[in-house]
Amino acid sequence: MVEDNDRVYARTQNKSTLLKIVILGDGGVGKSCLMSRFISNHFDDHSFHTIGVEFMNKTIEVNGKQYTLQVWDTAGQERFKSLRTPFYRGSDICILAYAVDDRSSFNNIKMWLNEFLHYAGVKNGIERYPFMVVGNKSDVSSKDREVTHDQLRHWCEENKIATYIETSAKNDNNVVEAFSMAVLRWVELEQRAEKELGMLHHPDTVTLHGGSAASSFRATCCSRFSDV
Amino acid sequence: MQKKTLQDPWLFVYKKLQDNEIISRKKIQEVDDSFFEKFGSILKQVSQKAALEESTPLAPLKEEEQDGEQKTETEQLEYRSIARDSDSGHETLLDTDSEPDENEKIDRYVEAVGWNIDELYLEILYEILHNVGGCDVGYEVGQLAMLTYVQEAFKIANDKHTELLTKAEAKEPPELMLNVEVVEAKDLVPKDPNGLSDPFVTIYMMSNSSQRYNTSVKSCTLNPVWEEHFSLPMSGNVQDDSLCLEVWDFDPAETVKEKMTKIFEVKGVKGLRKLVKEIAITASTGKHDNELIGTSNIPLKSIPAGGMTMWFSLSKKSKLKRQGVVKVRLNFSSEKNSQVAAQEHRHLLRIILLHELENSKVAPYWWCGNFSTPAEAILTQHAAQSGISQLDNSLVQWSVYCAVTPDHPLSFALFNQLLDKVSKPLQSALINEEDVKIFWDGAKKLLPTCFSHIRKLRKKTAGDKTVMKTLREVLKILYKLSLLEVPYTIELFPKNLYGWLREDEGKLTINEVLNQAVIQGASDWFVHILDNNECKDNTEESRLQHLIRVIQLVRSDLQRAVEYYDRVFVEVMNYKYTKALYGLYESKIASLVEPEVLEVCKCLKRLQYNEGSTTSVHLAGGLNGETRLGGPEVSTEPLAMGTTLFELYLALQRFLLLGQGLNETEWHTYAISNFHSWFFGGVAQWLDIAAYKALTRIEKAVDLDKLVPVDSNVKYSSSGVDTLAIFYQIKIFWKQLAWPDVEGCYTFVAKIVDDICRCCVFYSDKMANRVENVGTVTTVFEERFEVTTEWCVAINNIDYVRQSLEPFVVEMGMDDIIQKMCEARSPIEAQRCKETLQNVIANAIDTVKNKIVDLLEMMVKKMMPSITRFLIEGAELLHQDCSRMDRVMRYLEANLDTLYQHLNNENFSRTLDIVWEQLGEVLYELIQANLEKRRPPSFFSNLHECLKVMIRSFRQDNKEVYTSETLKRVEYLLKLHGMETRELIHEYHLERWQDQQSITEPKMGVITVRAQFIEDNLKVEIMNARNLTPTDSNGLCDSYVRVTLHPEDSFASIVKPKTQTHNKNLFPLYDEMFLIPLTSEQRRISDGLLHFVVKDKDMFSMSNTFVGEAYLHFSEIQDTPAPIGSLPQQHLPLSKPTNLDGDAIKALETRQGDKQARDFLKKQKQKTPTKQQFFSLG
Ligand SMILES: Nc1nc2c(ncn2[C@@H]2O[C@H](COP(=O)(O)OP(=O)(O)O)[C@@H](O)[C@H]2O)c(=O)[nH]1
Ligand SMILES: [Mg+2]
Repeated sequence: MVEDNDRVYARTQNKSTLLKIVILGDGGVGKSCLMSRFISNHFDDHSFHTIGVEFMNKTIEVNGKQYTLQVWDTAGQERFKSLRTPFYRGSDICILAYAVDDRSSFNNIKMWLNEFLHYAGVKNGIERYPFMVVGNKSDVSSKDREVTHDQLRHWCEENKIATYIETSAKNDNNVVEAFSMAVLRWVELEQRAEKELGMLHHPDTVTLHGGSAASSFRATCCSRFSDV
Repeated sequence: MQKKTLQDPWLFVYKKLQDNEIISRKKIQEVDDSFFEKFGSILKQVSQKAALEESTPLAPLKEEEQDGEQKTETEQLEYRSIARDSDSGHETLLDTDSEPDENEKIDRYVEAVGWNIDELYLEILYEILHNVGGCDVGYEVGQLAMLTYVQEAFKIANDKHTELLTKAEAKEPPELMLNVEVVEAKDLVPKDPNGLSDPFVTIYMMSNSSQRYNTSVKSCTLNPVWEEHFSLPMSGNVQDDSLCLEVWDFDPAETVKEKMTKIFEVKGVKGLRKLVKEIAITASTGKHDNELIGTSNIPLKSIPAGGMTMWFSLSKKSKLKRQGVVKVRLNFSSEKNSQVAAQEHRHLLRIILLHELENSKVAPYWWCGNFSTPAEAILTQHAAQSGISQLDNSLVQWSVYCAVTPDHPLSFALFNQLLDKVSKPLQSALINEEDVKIFWDGAKKLLPTCFSHIRKLRKKTAGDKTVMKTLREVLKILYKLSLLEVPYTIELFPKNLYGWLREDEGKLTINEVLNQAVIQGASDWFVHILDNNECKDNTEESRLQHLIRVIQLVRSDLQRAVEYYDRVFVEVMNYKYTKALYGLYESKIASLVEPEVLEVCKCLKRLQYNEGSTTSVHLAGGLNGETRLGGPEVSTEPLAMGTTLFELYLALQRFLLLGQGLNETEWHTYAISNFHSWFFGGVAQWLDIAAYKALTRIEKAVDLDKLVPVDSNVKYSSSGVDTLAIFYQIKIFWKQLAWPDVEGCYTFVAKIVDDICRCCVFYSDKMANRVENVGTVTTVFEERFEVTTEWCVAINNIDYVRQSLEPFVVEMGMDDIIQKMCEARSPIEAQRCKETLQNVIANAIDTVKNKIVDLLEMMVKKMMPSITRFLIEGAELLHQDCSRMDRVMRYLEANLDTLYQHLNNENFSRTLDIVWEQLGEVLYELIQANLEKRRPPSFFSNLHECLKVMIRSFRQDNKEVYTSETLKRVEYLLKLHGMETRELIHEYHLERWQDQQSITEPKMGVITVRAQFIEDNLKVEIMNARNLTPTDSNGLCDSYVRVTLHPEDSFASIVKPKTQTHNKNLFPLYDEMFLIPLTSEQRRISDGLLHFVVKDKDMFSMSNTFVGEAYLHFSEIQDTPAPIGSLPQQHLPLSKPTNLDGDAIKALETRQGDKQARDFLKKQKQKTPTKQQFFSLG
């Protein structure tokens, strides 16, 4: 039997946790650029319209733990709606992106949030799900800026989203930080859920319940793209 | 060959599917009611069947035809009642144009009788009596036969006949005739309550008022146009005689209307004839209730010899007011005016034709110009005697046939023959204006029948020879007419007859009307289809079924068009019939289907998960194996999704395909060309449901799996095949959709691939759960885990499913999509899409591979307790007993053999790796635990032996065994702890010697020596030492060197050489030579060491102080007979044992019960510098 021996079957020393992330937001706010910057530390001024969805992998270390992030970048156009929404299901983290020099993209965040809530089937409420709001293009000159950081903070408080940040994919500002923050938020919520579950059940039986040890159940993944 | 089968996991599934094995896997399918098969292969079969049906148009037509026929009749009835109320002439239904509304009908009949029958009859009798020519039909038929015929045809009573015959016999040919054409009238005073009149004109010579001539009645008009010709014989007194002209209102309230109503009751030609006669007689006798509108009297002397055309005022005795004007054309001639003759001939022909039709009972559309012999003779005679030319005759025939055909259809071929005769003269303007008008008036009557035929083509049996022939004739008529120029005054397509024509400015050409007729026919057919195929109820299902049915019916209509009609239309009219039909149908279907589909897709219920779920969004198919399936959280109700939506999709797809064939260049302008986009939501929803169902089914498949290979050729079991069958069905489903828009296509494929990957991971998890508790053997003595074939099958299953992933993407048409994306967008974007798909796949493959490793690890871990126990049991025996270690070997061997038999190479060698890795860990723990238990060295050396045997047995593949650090360490520890104490001590010295090699900057001085082997003798020259560490309070040292050979017990017989003491010197020159005779065994000890110990001779204490030591390994000593002075000096750095935590020391420390070890340790500790310093400081 011929087997694919050419690919060395490497096991990463530390099993990394696999997290699926979707990035939503109006077309042109820089979602694809954020992803490229994060995955390959590369910025292209003449980026292309995203067709449907794009998917990439990246392993990062947060608080000494390995996480393999599966990042799904989506196309913002309305005509792709039916196509992109099925991808929401099963995602662990949702990044809502706007551009600080585009007021309407900021106003639309709410719409994206609702679309995600609807199609991903988030049931336990916004507070229990790791959302992250990212205001991209923070490098633009202050005269071009249409959304202030205060407005971002205000909006997030109003909408019960704990994590938000301003980034620049162009200047590589806060991009990795944004993803790390999102992961941290996920960890935080996961732990909280575990704790609550622990309180529900007798301590001895905790391990029998799948949900209580979600991270240990998570599939691990070779970090084959981590060196990209 | 077999290898191939294993390589491509799909081949097997295909084979199974062909064998219908999977289809028969009922149990699995029960879980979701054959969801995947329904949408995959079954949907495909359904659609193939439907496609086949659509392309055989005859079958569905048969019943259709019947429906159509019944329908038409009822429609007609309905229509009639509508027509009574309104005379809008609006047409909505199929069969109406052959049944013109009432007023027209009256017109036509009255026209047919608007002359004096008796007069014509007399004329004909006269002609029969004066037959001309001797060699034509009339001669053979005989006068009597002709007379009988004509009496019958004219329906003349016997006495009347006799009277007229006598008259005819007496008749002299007239000398001079007054030819009158009653052209028209204007501004007549109304006589009827509706403000109109039904005027007709009666003319007669004042001198012969009983000989009256009537025009036809023009109903409901004050401006009638007659254009009728009369020849009045003039008797003697031209000077005083005058022409009387009376315009009457024919009172339909009293007469015609009632009688006309009767016509409708008495169907057929006979009824009509009776009426004709009545009216004619009424009119001719003048004893009618009709009301006089006005009269005019024209003295003959006022007419110029060359004739004149004049408007004459109408007057009425009682009224002063003018009653209107009449236009009359007058002239004299010595013989019958040709127009009068033609008109006469028309009347005659019509009477005879009607009679012929009545007698012969010829079927509609069959009569093609053959008269009975007497009729033929009469007509020939009249033509000859009235001087009617061939062309005139043809025109007369055309006019009469055209007039008759609406009520009694004649053969279309007949018209074609006539057209052939008159076309040329018409084109070359050889025909006078009046005849041209008559010709076109005829055409006007014929055309509705032609168009009606085209519009009602669907009522005929497609492909029938006669039908096709008729169609060809009809089209030929249209074609020939279309070549002729229509006079400006002729309105060929009056609104009242062509209600179905679209309102258009300007005159329509025959071609345009043909197009509209075709479209109207199709449009009516579409309405008909809709009317006859109503939804059973308003459920989504029946609505969709309804749409499919409609498309199929339309489709089969098009198919008929393609197969039968199109060719005829193209050949005769160069008209693309099917394409025209398609253009109409596609827009109708689009506007019918689109909103329905959008609505259905919008209303599709999404998967809903209940609040209770612990995991927030790790729903259907999260990679995390947390999905709760089959539980009460998800109700099954919203998941019931019918295939009908996609049957509709496929029906539309096939429909569009036809359109693409018909209109290769512009099909994308069709509304339907975008049909797939209506289904966007539906497909997305399907995928969502499919993903969920797939997981459910996988779970079930795993449950049912007996973990027995499905086939002797393969090593995986049913659930693997079942899982691939799901993928296969999803693929079939997707392939069928053949999504045309590449971007959507790509995204859907990405979604499908992502879902399939999730399924794959999910399957791995389930498979792992499934075998988790398999293989545990419990006996009274022990509980043991045995690797079973189930385990292997489980692993193979996961691998099998994993291997299907890459081919799956290929089969989903990835390359094609990427290629299209390249063309539609750009290569860079295409590349990105490709990478996304590959990333998803690679990701899944890696994840699943890791799952396999997880499972292998789990399995090996289960083996470990038994292995540990066997190892302990084996090692506990003081004396090595191979048969005891055999147990562990046998256990390993048996299990590894099972694995070897059933796993592929990759997984087997993975397993071995894991075995070694875990064995290392187990042994390490075993060593630690048993050191605490103070096991004797034999325990460890037994283990060590065992390890060596295992390596020999299971690592014949030359692979580096000690890849794992643990195992390397374990091997070393076992070796160490397996040693006797003396061996350990020697090991310690060897470690020291090793350490010495790494000293680059000696801190305790250096000793210089030379050494050589001369045969079995060892010659050592201790030359000097430098930089000795001072040990005395004076800062100097009284040193000497002692040489010891290790292992000490091997050299027990040898006296340890010792140099002189060199006082107060840190750089002593010893310069002493020792010859140590060795036995040959001693010489051959490979690890032998020369141990130089420098000590300080202490005058006051009994013991001497340790200064430093150095080692020289036997391997560093040359075996040479050369004089020692010629050998290089060896500078050995002096050192002290710095820390005592080397492995050998530690191992010795565990042997507290062993005196030799204890003593040795004590001695060494004294040497450590810390202690030394501590003492010296103290
Ligand atoms: N100034 C600035 N421009 C950016 C930044 N990120 C993206 N862009 C630009 O914004 C445009 C749209 O980016 P893209 O990633 O395609 O947006 P998407 O539609 O959300 O994926 C591109 O022309 C980028 O060059 C940023 O951080 N700063
Ligand atoms: Mg983009």
